[in-house]
Amino acid sequence: MRAPRRTAALAGAFVLLLLAGLVGLLVGGVHLSLPDLVAGGGPASESARLVVSLRAPRVGLAALVGACLALAGAALQALLKNPLADPFLLGTSGGAAVGAALAAVAGFSPFVSPAAAFAGAVASSLTVAALARRGGRLDLQRLLLAGLIANAFFSAVLLGVFSVASGQTARTMLFWMMGSLADATPARVLALAPYAAAGFGVLAAFAARLNLFAVGEENAAALGVDVETSKRVVFVAASLLTGAAVAFAGIIGFVGLLVPHAARAVVGNDQRTLLPVSAIAGAALLAAADAASRSVFAPAELPVGAVTAAIGAPVFAWLLLRSS
Amino acid sequence: MHAPRNSERSRRGRVPGLSGRAAEPLPPPAGKSPPAAPYALTFLLGALAAALACRAEQEPRFEPSVEPRRVVSLAPNLTEIVFALGAGRSLVGVSEYSDYPPEARAIPRVGGLEVSAEKVASLRPDLVLATREGNAPGPVSALSSAGFSVLVLPTGSLDAVLDSVRRTGDALGRREQAERLAESLSARRAAVRALVGKGPRPKAILLVWPDPPQAAGGGTFLDDVLTEAGAENLVRNRPGWPVVSGEYLTAAPVEVLVLPASAANRPAFERALTSGGLSRGAARRARVVWVDESAITRPGPRVFDALEKLARELHPETEHGTGNTEHAR
Amino acid sequence: MSAVLEARGLCASYGATRALDGLDAEIRRGELAALLGENGSGKSTFLKVLARIVAPKAGEVLLDGRPLAAVGRRESARRIAYLPQSLDLVFPIRCLDLVLQGRAPHARGFSADSAEDLERAFAAMRACDVEELADRDAAALSGGERRRVFLARALAQDAEIWLLDEPASGLDLRHRLEFLGLLDRTHAERGTTVLLVTHEIDLAAELADRVILLRRGRVLASGRPDETLTPDRLRATFGVESRIEVDAQGRRRVVPYAPAG
Repeated sequence: MRAPRRTAALAGAFVLLLLAGLVGLLVGGVHLSLPDLVAGGGPASESARLVVSLRAPRVGLAALVGACLALAGAALQALLKNPLADPFLLGTSGGAAVGAALAAVAGFSPFVSPAAAFAGAVASSLTVAALARRGGRLDLQRLLLAGLIANAFFSAVLLGVFSVASGQTARTMLFWMMGSLADATPARVLALAPYAAAGFGVLAAFAARLNLFAVGEENAAALGVDVETSKRVVFVAASLLTGAAVAFAGIIGFVGLLVPHAARAVVGNDQRTLLPVSAIAGAALLAAADAASRSVFAPAELPVGAVTAAIGAPVFAWLLLRSS
Repeated sequence: MHAPRNSERSRRGRVPGLSGRAAEPLPPPAGKSPPAAPYALTFLLGALAAALACRAEQEPRFEPSVEPRRVVSLAPNLTEIVFALGAGRSLVGVSEYSDYPPEARAIPRVGGLEVSAEKVASLRPDLVLATREGNAPGPVSALSSAGFSVLVLPTGSLDAVLDSVRRTGDALGRREQAERLAESLSARRAAVRALVGKGPRPKAILLVWPDPPQAAGGGTFLDDVLTEAGAENLVRNRPGWPVVSGEYLTAAPVEVLVLPASAANRPAFERALTSGGLSRGAARRARVVWVDESAITRPGPRVFDALEKLARELHPETEHGTGNTEHAR
Repeated sequence: MSAVLEARGLCASYGATRALDGLDAEIRRGELAALLGENGSGKSTFLKVLARIVAPKAGEVLLDGRPLAAVGRRESARRIAYLPQSLDLVFPIRCLDLVLQGRAPHARGFSADSAEDLERAFAAMRACDVEELADRDAAALSGGERRRVFLARALAQDAEIWLLDEPASGLDLRHRLEFLGLLDRTHAERGTTVLLVTHEIDLAAELADRVILLRRGRVLASGRPDETLTPDRLRATFGVESRIEVDAQGRRRVVPYAPAG
């Protein structure tokens, strides 16, 4: 097997991202064309510019969220030595959903949602980490189980919250639980950016160590890695990325699972290449999915999580069939 | 038992995997527990970032400027208010369910419960009207952040409707019409209050959906209407839109069932009344009052019509009823 | 020969089970020692403690007289290489990259693989006769080939101490002979200290300068194979009756023939 050069892989991914971004700006409930945008005055052009000013933060948010989720997924797959690891396995999605739901039902302004969701995500990550601790170590097998349990528990709580919520609250919650980029504003993009940057930085520093984990935890220990510290750092970074993404965009599935998978098939499993490529590809995928969510049933908008699930589930099934 | 000869044994080779399972990694001795500081720090940073993001988006503040010529209404009741103020022609986009007055049906749609912000943007509005309770906050804040003039109006009570009328009038530069309309609506409410007076208040439940039975609880707009019409809302102590159990409906001392019906939901109500959750016990004995759903559930001018009708139905002793009630089934 | 690794009173547990129960042993520089014992006698655990995969509950390990716990992880990884028993790979990985992982303890910061690392990796692969597998996916190799790649990795690691857990397990006959031959040769050429764990008496007798018998987490006996592998000792270690045979080449073989007792 030949591993393509890192720069070529990154360049290719970037091109994909640019294309997806362009699609995101031009495509949607209202179709625009480049001439409309660049032409001078006239109502059509002005209307095009207004639409773009609304779409730009949305494409930006989609790209950042997609990057965070894909990166978290790639890092966790290496850490847990499990190609089916997904950022939501850590229980972050359930916790975030419950946080946002409780805030909504308690009557807080909907603008409080991101903080509440993030708090919920962090709380559930910490709980899951505590459950997985065994004699001072973070037991990676128990981590998966604990995450499953946490998600199941939070689903139950969420259903309970739904049953007492009013119509509008319940509907907003539902949209959020399927991923919604409808409230993308420049402020939100800026709030998410530091998280994405911190996550990327930390994981880039641990990329070589993750390569060792991908062969095995013992393997990493025998080659001089401080495994407990590494596990914790990667876990925290992945939880941060996931929690922040969910806080601002709701629960969007399949991106964290499938983007690293697809990227691995193309560029191999060297984390030093796979992590950045996954991030960029995730950004491209979600920007494109968002464009699709805005155009399929225009002017109504699908929740973007529904689009990723609609694409992701069959792809996942195909992968499973192929590997058996 | 004879052991096999040495040479044969080495030729047989080993059975793979018999050398033992891969041993599980052992836990090291209980050492110091992992430091909590990184977690606490990240949590604080996260809360800070999220709070900053929220700060940056307060509820949209509206500064009225010139008389707007391109108005988009994101809720059907707001559409009705705009028309009632005589500004119907300035509407360039309305929400999906805007069907009253009939002229509204011709105006381009911008989405239903979740509006499409970009559709709104493409219409180049200089004023966007939204409701606080009825519209999803996401698209509204996106539009506001993108620089559009967004006015968010309260709709939680009859007072809120009057307030909305006045504020919309201000925004549209039709202050006088708004004041007149608000005055007349207020006067009609006062008349209803006088009519109902100190008379008996029948115990009532207003169901917005029959199956599962969902009622208008305390603090909702419909609770306000029901109370003003001279009834006692039995589920007032439950806020929001509680789902009431079948047992409750059979046992509670409900005297009147107020059912807002439309062509779409009337069959479901009928079914519940004949054979479903409303066909037993107290619910069966209760009087059913049908009301026009689109009038009573929209916090706009028509709700005052509905209010008057409902008050008369609930208090037939003050006036002749219009035959819109049913006693026995 | 001086002791390069010394274990004193090592205790380690797996849940309630004690795997190492006060183990004292020493490994001398340059020797090839074999750790013999039944399943569950603690031999794999001992190796993992030496490789710093597992921390002991009590006791200590000395590396050249220094407590291992006080030595930096990367430093000890530069000196000690570990070949696990099971080499299951979940993800695809190029053989060259796998061998380059052996250079990790020597790496500085984020560096991409340096020219020196690449050189050493290729040299190691040549020595283990896996150079032509460099671009292939290690996960797709046969057991024997993969083991040789891991050996190349240990070579690239430039470690002076090798710890091997059941080095011949799962190999068919030809590959087993090849691999053990390669191991023996490399040990002789480079003077590496080798500690291998096995439950195969023949293997230990053939390769080792010294055998260490382990039972229930403690050392039962240690010494030269012909002196230590006696029927009495084997009965105590493995619970089997055995007799001594001399084969056509005049080599002494210990042959178990029945369970004891």
